Amino acid sequence: MSAAGDAQPDAPHRERQRPLTSRLVRYLLLQALIAAACIFALQQSLPGPPAEYLVATLSLSERGVERPVTPPYFSPQRHAMDDPPRFTGQFDRPADEAKRAWSVFLPRFTNGVEIAVNDVVILDSRRDPTANRPDRNTPVIAVIPSSLLRDGANTVSIRLFIWGPITGFLERVWVGPDEKLRPSYNLRSLIFVTLPVVFSSWQAILAVILGIMWVMRRHEPAYGLLAAAMAVGVAQAFLQTPMGETAFSRLNVVLISSAPIESALVLTFALLFSGWKWRPYGWIIFVPGLLLALAGLFGNQALSRTLFLFLAVPMVGLSLVIMAVVTARSTLKRRNVASLLLGCAVTIMLTCWIVDLLSVFQLMQNRIFTARLSYSAMLVAIGAGLTWRFARALNEVDGFAGRLVTQVREAEEKLKASFIREEERARAAALARERTRLMRDLHDGLGGQLVSIVALSERGNAGAGIGDAARAALKDLRLVIDSMDDIGGDLMLALGSWRERAMAQLRPHDITLEWRAVTPQGLPVHPELRPWHVIQIVRLLDEALTNAVKHASARRITVRIETLVDHDGHDRGCITVEDDGRGFDVPPADGSAGAIKAARGLRNMRNRAARCGAELVLDSCDQGTRVRLTLPHRFPDSDAAAG
Amino acid sequence: MNSLSDAAIAVLLVEDDAPTLWRLQDALAKAGYQVRAAGTLTDARACLAQGAPRVLLTDLQLPDGHGVDLIRETRRRFPETEIMVISILGDEESVISAITVGATGYLLKDAFPTDIAATVRDLVAGHSPISASIARFIVRRTQSTAEPPPGPALNTAKLTPREIDILWGIAKGFSYAEIASHLSLSRQTVPGHIKNIYRKLEVHTRGEAVFEAVQQGLIRL
Repeated sequence: MSAAGDAQPDAPHRERQRPLTSRLVRYLLLQALIAAACIFALQQSLPGPPAEYLVATLSLSERGVERPVTPPYFSPQRHAMDDPPRFTGQFDRPADEAKRAWSVFLPRFTNGVEIAVNDVVILDSRRDPTANRPDRNTPVIAVIPSSLLRDGANTVSIRLFIWGPITGFLERVWVGPDEKLRPSYNLRSLIFVTLPVVFSSWQAILAVILGIMWVMRRHEPAYGLLAAAMAVGVAQAFLQTPMGETAFSRLNVVLISSAPIESALVLTFALLFSGWKWRPYGWIIFVPGLLLALAGLFGNQALSRTLFLFLAVPMVGLSLVIMAVVTARSTLKRRNVASLLLGCAVTIMLTCWIVDLLSVFQLMQNRIFTARLSYSAMLVAIGAGLTWRFARALNEVDGFAGRLVTQVREAEEKLKASFIREEERARAAALARERTRLMRDLHDGLGGQLVSIVALSERGNAGAGIGDAARAALKDLRLVIDSMDDIGGDLMLALGSWRERAMAQLRPHDITLEWRAVTPQGLPVHPELRPWHVIQIVRLLDEALTNAVKHASARRITVRIETLVDHDGHDRGCITVEDDGRGFDVPPADGSAGAIKAARGLRNMRNRAARCGAELVLDSCDQGTRVRLTLPHRFPDSDAAAG
Repeated sequence: MNSLSDAAIAVLLVEDDAPTLWRLQDALAKAGYQVRAAGTLTDARACLAQGAPRVLLTDLQLPDGHGVDLIRETRRRFPETEIMVISILGDEESVISAITVGATGYLLKDAFPTDIAATVRDLVAGHSPISASIARFIVRRTQSTAEPPPGPALNTAKLTPREIDILWGIAKGFSYAEIASHLSLSRQTVPGHIKNIYRKLEVHTRGEAVFEAVQQGLIRL
């Protein structure tokens, strides 16, 4: 009992788990592929100028010690502003190069450089705010004024200013014709300076879009959080690194070191987006960012920089790891494109962050930070995800609108049909009321008088004809009343009454009425059948019966009722009245009066059939007469032959 | 014509139109029935006081009252009496109201004498004649409609699907034999079903009448 109970919920669970596992494997494979691609791309070194212009060996004077070094050089110092390490190198400018402009090109350094040629300072990177950001890989190029250059040996010296939080670094020094160095500089400048500005602009736009989204949809705070993250990111990107203590420098410090706040906001967004409910302990996420902000406000810049290294960098990494897990889970569970895009972006960022960390710890040969740049992948993912959701919502709205239109149309049609039904019902009710009124009138007047005539005529033999006439009048009255009854288009119901009347009529003449419904349902139902159609058909049948009784001396009359299928595939009712009498072509022996009457009767029958749109076929021979009435597929609305 | 050998069957004939009364009386007397005639409701009640007739034939429009009351009284006092309405048109307006108080079918006033006698003979033999138009009226009432249809009140709720099928057959003009073969019944059971239909359409008590009127939405409480 319990075993069966356990097994039952287990089976579907296992079935669900199998594709989940396979999906997980596929997802992890995809992320591994992305990470591998990232690492491969990061391994590629950017193309440099021709090797002949590299100043390969430099003489370094650091903390009073002078020694030759071959860049890239990692300085052990974290702070060196007053006595910065000084690099001195020699380069030759051939005499034939005097016409060309020469430049000094430093592809990468931290944190600032001052370049002097022949002891004349030509560039101080500290004046360039973007170059002061260690997280950007800003290159510098300085054109050497031609008057400074001598033919043959020249000296280039570089002072490396270091203000933390990371140690000093100088990648390489290139001195050569500007046109040879410029392409390499331009490429680096494009990747590390222009592109981040473009992405920051995109981030600003996203901040506005998400902000509007949040304002319009307050019940989705995830958008508000993401908008805040974007806004913080934009502020961070466009603010300058404060070099001195000014009134705004503290605020600048707070904003520039806001990476942990930004990452906390993005993390909260990712959590909410994947269906996580906000908990009070969620504030823990924001603690590192707030601590750093407080340090920026109340401490000095050096403290901020030190804390940044120990709070912000791990916080960013932790956020990325949590996001990677959360987005993976969301992708696997909900299978939506937005989560998948986000997951891929997180993988790219995480890979770059790890590589950055390795280069901070000097485990890489270079020091190109790509984590911030890889954030653009996240921005693209967010934009794409938003657009995807928007498009899907539009499709849903379209689908909904389409369904609504269909439903409204259906409702309209139903309403129309029910209106027609209602009209039909009202018409039938009016007819029924009229019929009831007529019936009462006939009862009280004409009917009673006719019955009296029948009764009176029977008292003396002379009145036999009068009695017959009165009886015929009564019969006709009953027919009129009967045909006004609502029979719901089923002619069989009218024929049922007719059979009774016919049998009563035939009984005194000792004629047998044989009734054969060949098809079980008899005749097809005609919703368009109106009382006047019924009267015409019944009178036509009466006529056929009367002819058989009065003129043909029949002993047996057969009525066949069937439904036939015509050449158009429509059901057509067919009523056949057949007798075993003398037929009409043979004039009765006792004179022509009967023949004339019969002829008039035949004309009447054809007339009635035509008015109902029915076909009448008469076959008569001395073996008997057959009247075959084929009903129309649809009874005509108006009495066409009446005029 | 068809004189009966056994003890004459008592028929009470209530009809206010003298010529019609004579002709019906004539037809029945010739067939051997012992006919008592009454022209008014009062006369009819006086006749009933003398003893139960085997058959009551009554017109509905009487000078001093309505035949429906006479049928109801007779039905209550003499449950064994077979009752039939004499109708001019055989219309449901008069016949159905008579059926709901206990009548079984109707007799047309202008019916041929032989048919009159045959109808009464069948009635006495236990057959319950039902016309196609009356059957049609009943089955149309079994079809659900939004509003109560015009005409006399009739409760068809007690009819079984089989009984309704039989009524359909009659309404469409089929004979008992044809109906029996369509519905896979024995031909002999059809008259019994029809008798049941009549009994089920009858409203027995005032309370039941009110109940059924409520059921059909004719009265709102």
